[in-house]
Amino acid sequence: MIARRLMPLLLLALATGCSEPDSQAGFAGLAEQAGEADESGFLQPEPGDELVFPDDWGPHPQHRIEWWYLTANLETADGEPLGLQWTQFRQALKPRSADAQPPDAETWPLDAAWMAHGAVSFAGDHWFEEKLARGDVGHAGATAEPLQVWLDDWRLEAVQGEDHWRLQVNGDGWSYDLRLGNTGRPVAHGDEGFSAKSASGEGSMYFSLVDLEIDGTVTLDGESMEVSGRGWFDREWSSQFLKAGQQGWDWFALHLGGGQKLMAFRLREDDGAFVSGSWISAEGEVISLGVDNLTITPETWQETVEGRVPVRWRLQIPERQVDVTIAAPEGNYWNTGLYPYWESPVSVSGSHEGVGYMELTGYSD
Amino acid sequence: MLVRAFISHYRRHPFQLLALALMITLATMLWTGVTVLTDQARNSLFQSEEAVAARVQVVRTDGQPVTVDDFAWLRMAGVCVAPWLEVQRPPPEGRVIGIDPLALGCFGESAPGGEAGDLDGEPFMDISEAAMLSAKGADSQLYLLAGTDDESLPETYALKDFSLSPPTGELADSFLLNLDALSLLVLLITGLLVRSVHRLGLAQRRDSLALLHRFGVPRRRVRQLLVLELMALTALCVLPGLWLGAQLAGVLGGGFGQALDNLFDVALYAGSDESLPWRAAGVMVLLVLAVCLLDWVLPRRWQNAASSGRGLRVAGLVLLAGLTGVVLAPGLGWVFAGTALVFAGAGWLTPALLAMMAQRLSGSASDTGVSPLLGWRRRELAVMFRQLALPVVALQFAVATVLAVQALVTTFENTFDDWLAQRLEAEFYVEVPVGADAELGAAQLRELEGIGPWHRVTRGEASISPADNDGKGAVTPVDLFALGPVGELVADWTLLESSARPWQQLAQGGVMINEQLARRQNLEVGDTLDVTIADTDIRVPVVAVYADYGRPAGEVLIHRAQLPEAFSAGFESFSVNPGERTMAEISDRLADVWDTSNLTVRDNASIRALASRVFGQTFLLTRAISLLTLVLAAVALLIMGWVFFTTRAWYFQLLAVWGLPATMLRRQLQRLAVTLTLSVTAAALPLGIWLTWVLVSRINPLAFGWSLPMAVYPMFWLELGLVAAGIGLVIARLMRRQLEGPTPLPPASRMTGAER
Repeated sequence: MIARRLMPLLLLALATGCSEPDSQAGFAGLAEQAGEADESGFLQPEPGDELVFPDDWGPHPQHRIEWWYLTANLETADGEPLGLQWTQFRQALKPRSADAQPPDAETWPLDAAWMAHGAVSFAGDHWFEEKLARGDVGHAGATAEPLQVWLDDWRLEAVQGEDHWRLQVNGDGWSYDLRLGNTGRPVAHGDEGFSAKSASGEGSMYFSLVDLEIDGTVTLDGESMEVSGRGWFDREWSSQFLKAGQQGWDWFALHLGGGQKLMAFRLREDDGAFVSGSWISAEGEVISLGVDNLTITPETWQETVEGRVPVRWRLQIPERQVDVTIAAPEGNYWNTGLYPYWESPVSVSGSHEGVGYMELTGYSD
Repeated sequence: MLVRAFISHYRRHPFQLLALALMITLATMLWTGVTVLTDQARNSLFQSEEAVAARVQVVRTDGQPVTVDDFAWLRMAGVCVAPWLEVQRPPPEGRVIGIDPLALGCFGESAPGGEAGDLDGEPFMDISEAAMLSAKGADSQLYLLAGTDDESLPETYALKDFSLSPPTGELADSFLLNLDALSLLVLLITGLLVRSVHRLGLAQRRDSLALLHRFGVPRRRVRQLLVLELMALTALCVLPGLWLGAQLAGVLGGGFGQALDNLFDVALYAGSDESLPWRAAGVMVLLVLAVCLLDWVLPRRWQNAASSGRGLRVAGLVLLAGLTGVVLAPGLGWVFAGTALVFAGAGWLTPALLAMMAQRLSGSASDTGVSPLLGWRRRELAVMFRQLALPVVALQFAVATVLAVQALVTTFENTFDDWLAQRLEAEFYVEVPVGADAELGAAQLRELEGIGPWHRVTRGEASISPADNDGKGAVTPVDLFALGPVGELVADWTLLESSARPWQQLAQGGVMINEQLARRQNLEVGDTLDVTIADTDIRVPVVAVYADYGRPAGEVLIHRAQLPEAFSAGFESFSVNPGERTMAEISDRLADVWDTSNLTVRDNASIRALASRVFGQTFLLTRAISLLTLVLAAVALLIMGWVFFTTRAWYFQLLAVWGLPATMLRRQLQRLAVTLTLSVTAAALPLGIWLTWVLVSRINPLAFGWSLPMAVYPMFWLELGLVAAGIGLVIARLMRRQLEGPTPLPPASRMTGAER
């Protein structure tokens, strides 16, 4: 209850930084319309910014928000589809230059907070858990080299001496321990990694690993299952994600049957929507998509306890002869954390077949 | 026109209106104030319990204090811990607690603070702010609270109970229950007072209301107007009463909150339900309407029968049923019901019995040729007891309540003093750190020359069974205390029952048990017990029963030489009087021998001084409430007495007409008034003593399983008698002024057969 009392205040402070708390509180953009980044001292990504490896696998303390995000469309040994998600967010209250020393942990600093989400979707059921931590204390953080992202005992790390990562996550009645093998180079979205999020130019730095080979063990209610399949890993950071007037986003990451990959998102605005995406050919060529060549339309809505949410979509890219229906399986896929959002595996049908993941924010009542 | 005629009574008798308004306002103030405070206290205690209930902390087995690194390491190892940074700021700011809200998620519903209500602001703050205060020089201590007690901890850590203050057992619960009982009594008394003032007004309006009826206004209409008048007056008076009640709660709440904070480790920060004053007001409106309109609801023959011989027999039966019910009651509800019956019976009987007694004495006075004035005074007293029955009963109840509350509070204070004395018997108290060898510490103390008396207390678990049950009887788990060496520090323990030289017998292999265990198991000195400690059975004689001051758990106390080797201590400590040494020197030596820089040393003397001081402060509230109730009842009696005397002024004047000198008349009235109030106080004595007994010997055992010792305080009775005499003198003084003015003629109804 102390948490309930202090948490909103804390997160409001985290979400709004030093700006006036006139915006809706959120965490790393989940329900956020941030204030003016320039006045707060945070760096704002802009066209022309470049991705730098391996540094960009690690945290960006000069930016307000960022996340490491995995979705996976797996199958059990019986061929049953199983979806899972892991996300770790960092949200800063104060900017810090990349080479500055972190404050002394003994002072329990509150320069940044971390939040991790883990979820498993299987046979119509959905398991979800959320963890929170303050930064610079030690039990949550990230490093670029070697890659490590952790919060308590949830951990993603590069396995030393080998070319794969390991992800261990456990919740109440569920857990997974996965091996992630990377079979491709990072895909930079937008303009060399700068991904616009509105027509007026605000945006984020955004790249993905779009074709991870995953295998491992998922345990649900005490029953362990061997699983394998493909995953999608995102890295994204910014200091201003949703601008005023934007209500939320609809995001899709799809693995298509022909080896193509598709990332598309739609930011809902008062007077329409801003759409963007990336088409990645089977050969790895990346083509940016925008309002001129990408259409995303909700088709079927589902009434849920948390709110009314579109569970069936039509996505068209005429110049690529893509006209597909994206549908969530039956079930309730709300991640009911501090800021509820919908996160479900999807199936793709129509001009292309495939699987993928869909994230919808801003639909919670 | 009708309304004007209707309220013209109050134009002629504005003081009556004022009296009724004053009663309703003061009653609302008292009831609201008491209700708000009780509610706040309950919420605060509840939240405090939630905040630290059954909590455990993680400590390092190497005796070093836990740090932020330990926290991070444990979290990454999958252990659910949360930091709790206590920072002591110099007075008046006091203690604050830094917490990390982000770390509490793993606790789920059992998070510190639980799910009840709001903990708003101090003493809680974000841990970074608390750390900042600590960095500025304030004393601080970091604790790591653990989620459950079955964490699979790394070997270098251990779990330990987490408590912020000496446990006060159920004293706090008992305190609240008694506040509740007090609130109900306040409500009852205020109801009686309002009814008495209202009835007096109604009696005086009887003629004018009858006149209205004769002029053609239907009785139903008159009643409707009376209800409307009462509702309007109540609504008008309840509002200022509410405001005054909030002020009263605010004034008393300051000291009360501080006392709660210090005594029970609870701040009065919880606040109360915002709707509470309005609910209190609602109760008051209903009460006023109910007590004032009771006559219309009760059949007239019931009302007439109430004061008849048959009615009094019924009252006697009600009283008897209540007394029996309270003695035999199997549950708390029955005790409350029985108490209500006793109050109803006593309230019904007292005025009639007092009147009867006065009447009989007046008869005997005239028969034996004693002064006719004495006879007159006693007859007049009998009339007053009948006419002023309600305020008399209200004053009786108020005095009884004050008596009971005073006895209860004093008993609580004495019990608490004894409780502290027993637990804080030494000047200092040193906790043996987790993982440390207590024997090393004991050896150090034995070698130290000039040290005062000390002993080592080891706590653990054991089970007992009576030695003669052949293993068939129930085996009872108990808390085990092992003491050694037995020395001066325990010499002052209160032993309720003991053999000769009990402490020597303990050292030679006896066992002492606590009061509650003795009661529950019917054990006494000389019985033999089988005590099982770490799977080892020992057969020991009971050599003493010691007072436990309300701790419901069973306890056995043995000499530590009797502990089997396999016994594993749950907790160990040393009670030390430094003697010629300084405590700093002693604690340094112990810290060295245990290789720790984190030794918990408690200064018992200052804790006792603080606790005693704040306990007195806490009970100031109870005393203030009971005193206010008494004042209210006294004001009511004053008003009633004055109005009543006024209506009889013409009759008193007759005495002067018949030749009684004015000085003598005034003296007679003085005696009359003082006898009236003193008689009521005397009638309240048995009720007050009985109520004390019910609170300490019936309600507490049924509610909490333990009882307080019963005590009476005759000096306080004397003080109350003086207050009562004072009230009587003020009434007489007012009468004197009344008699100096022109004497009104009695109303017609008074001349035609009514009691004179």
